[in-house]
Amino acid sequence: MNIQDNYQKNKKNIFFSKNKDVQNHREKLINIFKNDRFDKKNNESLKNVNLKNFLDFKYKYLVPEETSVINNNNDNTYSIVSVNGQCSNFKDDKIEITKIVEEDYNDFSKNNTIANNDHFVNLNSLFLNCGFKIIIKKNNNIKIKISNIITDDDLTIFQKNNFICEEGSSLNLIEEYENKNNSTLNILNVIKLEKNSQLNHFLIQDNSPNHNLIITSHSSCKKDSTYIQKVYNFSEGYVRNFHFSELIEINSEADLQGIFFLKDNNISNNKTFVKHLAEDCKSNQVYKGILNDRSTATYFSNTHVDQVAQKTEGYQLSKGILLSENASYFSKPELKIYADDVKCSHGSTIGPIDENAIFYLRSRGMSKIAATKILISSFINEELSSIDNDQMSEIIQKKIVRYLSKVK
Amino acid sequence: MNSETLNTLDTYSKNKYKYGFVTDIDNEKPKKGLSEDTIKFISLKKNEPKWMLDWRLKSFAKWKKMKEPKWANLSFPEIDYQDIYYYSAPKGFEKKPKDLSEVDPKLIETYNKLGIPLEEQKVLAGVAVDVVFDSVSVATTYKGELEKLGIIFCSIGEAIQKHPDLIKKYLGSVIPPGDHSFSALNSAVFTDGSFVYIPEGVKCPMELSTYFRINAENTGQFERTLIIADKGSYVSYLEGCTAPKRDDNQLHAANVELIALEDAEIKYSTVQNWYPGDEDGKGGIYNFVTKRGLCAGKNSKISWTQVETGSSITWKYPSCILKGDNSIGEFYSVAITNNFQQADTGTKMTHIGKNTKSKIISKGISLGKSQNTYRGEVSFLRKAEKARNYTQCDSLLVGNQCGAHTVPYIDSKNNTAVIEHEASTSKINEDQLYYCRQRGLSHEEAVSLIVNGFCKQVLQELPMEFAVEAQKLVSISLEGSVG
Repeated sequence: MNIQDNYQKNKKNIFFSKNKDVQNHREKLINIFKNDRFDKKNNESLKNVNLKNFLDFKYKYLVPEETSVINNNNDNTYSIVSVNGQCSNFKDDKIEITKIVEEDYNDFSKNNTIANNDHFVNLNSLFLNCGFKIIIKKNNNIKIKISNIITDDDLTIFQKNNFICEEGSSLNLIEEYENKNNSTLNILNVIKLEKNSQLNHFLIQDNSPNHNLIITSHSSCKKDSTYIQKVYNFSEGYVRNFHFSELIEINSEADLQGIFFLKDNNISNNKTFVKHLAEDCKSNQVYKGILNDRSTATYFSNTHVDQVAQKTEGYQLSKGILLSENASYFSKPELKIYADDVKCSHGSTIGPIDENAIFYLRSRGMSKIAATKILISSFINEELSSIDNDQMSEIIQKKIVRYLSKVK
Repeated sequence: MNSETLNTLDTYSKNKYKYGFVTDIDNEKPKKGLSEDTIKFISLKKNEPKWMLDWRLKSFAKWKKMKEPKWANLSFPEIDYQDIYYYSAPKGFEKKPKDLSEVDPKLIETYNKLGIPLEEQKVLAGVAVDVVFDSVSVATTYKGELEKLGIIFCSIGEAIQKHPDLIKKYLGSVIPPGDHSFSALNSAVFTDGSFVYIPEGVKCPMELSTYFRINAENTGQFERTLIIADKGSYVSYLEGCTAPKRDDNQLHAANVELIALEDAEIKYSTVQNWYPGDEDGKGGIYNFVTKRGLCAGKNSKISWTQVETGSSITWKYPSCILKGDNSIGEFYSVAITNNFQQADTGTKMTHIGKNTKSKIISKGISLGKSQNTYRGEVSFLRKAEKARNYTQCDSLLVGNQCGAHTVPYIDSKNNTAVIEHEASTSKINEDQLYYCRQRGLSHEEAVSLIVNGFCKQVLQELPMEFAVEAQKLVSISLEGSVG
C-alpha cells in the first residue's frame, strides 16, 4: 500500500486530520512522497534505509487503557511514564503537561530547518497519533525522567512532543527508550529555550533487535540559553538520531554529543545540525562510535554560520573505531560558513584500535581482549566522566560492561 | 581587407596546417546546437575512423538520458545546450585585435605584473600575429627530443589517427562516458586535447605542457586529455597557464584521464585562470571538469596539484582510484574566489588495493561575494587493508559577504585502514596582520603575504617556474577586494 492510501485509510485515527491548515500541509507532504525519486545517494535521511519496509508499512495504533502516572516527589523531581506516546495531563506551579494541539503542529510545519526531504519527519507529520507538551515555568529548576513504553507488538507510533523552558528555568531531562517488542517509534521533539534557560537532555537508548527507533529533535535557543544533549545508544535494533539546533539569539550555546555501541547487523544513522543565526554563539558536536561485527553507522554533522553570526565558535568531532573487518562507518562533517569572524573546525577519524597501545598493554602482561576493552573504555571516558548524575552514570557503565563482555 | 591582413591570414593558416589538426579553414559555418548531425560533422571534420564516431554517438545517446548533477553548492542559470557551437574552426581574424594596443589595458597590466614576455602576451590576448613562432621553434626542438625517447606527445585527434590501439584500449577506461552528464557530453563532442604516452622505464626529461603545443591557442571548450605512463615511467604534465585567458565559449567541460601502470608516476599540475566575469558577476566561464587518475599497477603514484583562480563557476574534482597495491594518490589545491565567483572543488580518493595511501591538502580563500566549497570523498573498500589517508582542508575568509564551506564524505569499510581528517575555517589573523603592518607593509601587501604563506604548502608542489608565477597570481587575485 502506498503512503497516500495508507493515510486515507487511517485518517480518522490520526491527529488533527480535520484541521484545514494541517490538511494543506499534509497534502504537500503526500505530493513530496509521490514525486520523490528516493535518491539514496544524495538524501541523507535514506542512507542505509530499507525503502520497501519504510514506504510500505502496516499502520497500527492502540490508545493505552491505563493513563500514565506522574509522581511528584516533592523535590522538583518528576517521573513520567509515556505509554504509547501518551501521558496524562498535569499541572502545578512549576510545570504543566498537556496533549499537543493543532497550533503546535502548525507552528512546526512552518519551520524549515529540517528539510522537506527528510522522509521520516514527513511520515511523522502525516501519521501523527500521539504526543504531549511540557512547559517548565519561569525560574524553576526541575528534574524530569521520562520512560517511553510501548504496550503491544507491531505498533507504529508517530509522536510529537513539545518542551518549553521558560525564562530563567533549568531542566534536567532524562529520556529512556527500552522497548523489547517489535514496534516502531517515530518521535519528534520540538524544544524551545527562552532567555537564560538551560536544558540538559539525556537520551538512553537500549531497544531489542526488532524495535525501530527514529528520533528527531529540533531545539531553538534564545538569548543566553544553553542546550546540552547527550545520546547513549546501546540498541540492537535500528536507531536514527537526527538532532537539529538553532541558535537564534545572542550568546546561546548548543552542545550535541552522542556515543553509539553497535554489534551484529545493527544500523545506526546519526546527524547533528547546528545553525548559527546570531552573534557570539557557541556550538559543539561530538559523536563517537564503536562498531563490531557487521554493523553499519553513518554520521552527518553540519555547522551552518549565517552572515550575521560573527564571533561564532563551532566545533565538530567524529571518531569511529572499527572492531571487525565487516563493520563500516560513513561520516560527513560539513561546514557552511557565511561570516568571516569565526572559529570553526572539524575533525574526523576512523580506524582500528591503536596497535601500539595494544602492544604496550600486552607487553605488561595483559591479554589482547583485556587490552582492547581498556582502550575502548578510555576512548569514551571523556564523555562518561562529564555526566554529573551518579545514578545515570551507573546505568550507563553497566550497559557498557554488557557490551564489552561480548567483544571478542 | 587590405593586403597585409591577407598576408597575415595566409601565413597564419599555413602554420596552423603545419602542426595542425584542422586541415582546412572551412567557409561553412558550423551549426549551433547539439544533435547527431553535429557529432557526425565534428567527426567528419576531424577525419575520424568509424569506431570513433560510433563511440561518440553512443556517448551522445547516454547524454540524452542524463541530467546535470545538482548536488554541488553552485547556482547558475540553466545551460542551453542547443545555443552552443560545438565545433569552432579557427576564429576569423577580422574579430581579433590586430596588436596589443587594441587589447583591454587591464589585461595587459596583469600580464606585465606576471612578467610575461611581450610575444607571449600577444598569443594570450589572441592577437593575430606571427610572433607565435618563437615558441613554435621551442616546441619543435622539444618534440624531436621526446621522439628519441619514444614518448608520444600529440593532440588527441592525431593520436586517434596514429595510435588507434592505445586510444581504443584506454579512452574512457577511467572516466566512462556514462559516468555523469558532463563526461557523456565531453565524450560525444570533444574536439581537442592532448595525448601522452610514456614508454616503459622512461623518465620524461622535461615538464610536458600544452603551452608548447602550437594548437594550445585553441584548446577548445571540450578538451580531452589522456596520459598513459607505462611501467616504471615518470611524467610531469602542466596544464593551463597563469595568465588570464579570454575565451568566447562560456561552457567548458573537459575530461582528463590518467593511467599509471606498475611503478609509474604521473604528476599533473594545473593553473586555471579563465575569465571569471566582471565585478558584478556578469559573464565568465562555466568550468565543469572531470579529472580522474587510475593507479592501475603496484607502487604507482598520481599527484594532482591545482591552483584555481579563474572561471565564474568551477566544478572540479581531480580524483584517484588507488587500485594497485601500495599505490599513492595526492591532491594539493588552492582555490581562490573573488567577486561573484563560485567554486565547488575537491577530490575523491578511492582506496581499493592494499597499503594504499592518499594525502589531501586543500586551501580555500574566499573574498568579495564569492562562495568557495571543498567537497571531497575518501573511501576505503573492503580489501583496502592498512590503507591510510590524511586530509587537511583550511579555509580563509576575507570580508563578511563571502562563504566558505567544507563537505567531506568519509567512508570506511575496512578495520585496518586509518583515516584522519581535519578542517578549519577562520579569518586572517589580526596579530599577523598587525606584525606585518608594523614593519611597513601596506594592508594589501600584508594580506597578500599572509595568504601566500597560507597556500605555501600547495604552491611548493608546483614545478619551479610555475610556482613563481602562481605566487604572483595569488597576489593579483586578491587585488581590489582587500582593505
